[in-house]
Amino acid sequence: MNVSHHLTDETLQDYACGSLAASMETLVACHLTVCAHCRLRSEAADQVGGVLLASAEKSAMRTSAGDVLAIRAARKPAVDPQPDAPTLQPGIPRPLARLLPKPVSQLDWRRVAPGIKQYDLGSEPRGKGAFKLLHLAPGLVLSDHSHIDRELTYVVQGCYTDEIGTFSTGDIADLDGNHAHRPVVSADAPCIALIATQSPVRYSGFFGRVMQRFVGI
Amino acid sequence: MCTTELSNADVVTRTDKPSADRTLTRAPDPAAAELRKTMGDALVAVGKHRDEQAFALVFDYYAGRIKSFLMGKAMNEDTAEELTQEIMLTVWRRAESYDPKKAAASTWLFTIARNRRIDYLRGNSRIEVELDDEILEVETTENDPQARYVADSQSAATLEAALAKLPQEQRQVMHLSYFRGQSHGAIAKWLNLPVGTVKSRIRLAMQSVRKELQGETDALDRDDFLDSD
Repeated sequence: MNVSHHLTDETLQDYACGSLAASMETLVACHLTVCAHCRLRSEAADQVGGVLLASAEKSAMRTSAGDVLAIRAARKPAVDPQPDAPTLQPGIPRPLARLLPKPVSQLDWRRVAPGIKQYDLGSEPRGKGAFKLLHLAPGLVLSDHSHIDRELTYVVQGCYTDEIGTFSTGDIADLDGNHAHRPVVSADAPCIALIATQSPVRYSGFFGRVMQRFVGI
Repeated sequence: MCTTELSNADVVTRTDKPSADRTLTRAPDPAAAELRKTMGDALVAVGKHRDEQAFALVFDYYAGRIKSFLMGKAMNEDTAEELTQEIMLTVWRRAESYDPKKAAASTWLFTIARNRRIDYLRGNSRIEVELDDEILEVETTENDPQARYVADSQSAATLEAALAKLPQEQRQVMHLSYFRGQSHGAIAKWLNLPVGTVKSRIRLAMQSVRKELQGETDALDRDDFLDSD
């Protein structure tokens, strides 16, 4: 996979700090699966956390190591949960594959606007951010939109082009409120994209507002 | 630049030389180096021999710091105390999987503490890469200049020095993000700065840290970030 669009340092750092929602973490983990470059950057961010922890101020503990081992002895042995083997889905990183009950082509896609189908992954109420797969028809032009906070897009299949460049399978678009963009799906194939937002997307223009109501992002 | 040809040996030479060739690099802190070794050895002893004394060493150094980490992220003291106990139990249970060649003890402990905190708050685990994923991209690792700084204890020393060298303003935002669990927006408000400034400080800090780990100007800046501050 020839990945050319990466995660920003700010997002990698939030991921390392444990400050991202599960939806955002899924997107990050998908990209890290196919991008060794960002995986190493992510490890560096974890290392920073380690160094900061080692040099942090200590709070007084009421329990000792002995107490903790006694707690353990009194308990049934804990077993770390092993995640179930996910349905294998060629070309789809496991963090996403685990969320899909069926192969992408057989999902119960919901048509939300001409050329746009979606599959909801999150049960977050509207307004708290979205987490969904979008199935975009070849040649589709999406409305101009910008974001109040962070939006991550992971390209699962196909590709689209916007002001920033062309995003293909494995690429991630890591955008914040400063960006307004107008993605155009490549003419030869549909594009399937996984998106997560931290807050509602703002569409500009009449069609945008109509679409926003349908798509709910 | 011939970054990929540099081997580990170069990195060792560089950090072992007491700042002769890099005037700004502090000589490695002997106490910190000693601590890293002690903690790494102790974790290995816990993993291999269920060594309770070694566990007590790790506990005495890290439990209170992990508790601080949790309380800094707005957890009340009782909960933080209990969760720290759980984290230390996880350390005891998983010590077998600790590999000093792959990670410094501090990194390993940090990731366990962070992940347990997420489990506790959210009721589900942190979503991570699965390293046995069939489509895991591994090819570029060997050619990537960053690959040299695999997270071993050698690089922990370099990284510590790199963090110490950061301008105060960058260290402050790094500390707030890791230890206060604040969003960049909240940090900006707290410091009375524009969000863009906070983000650019984080970016600059991470870039300097990586540059230090790589030992030279990196190729990372090719990333397609449009923000300009």
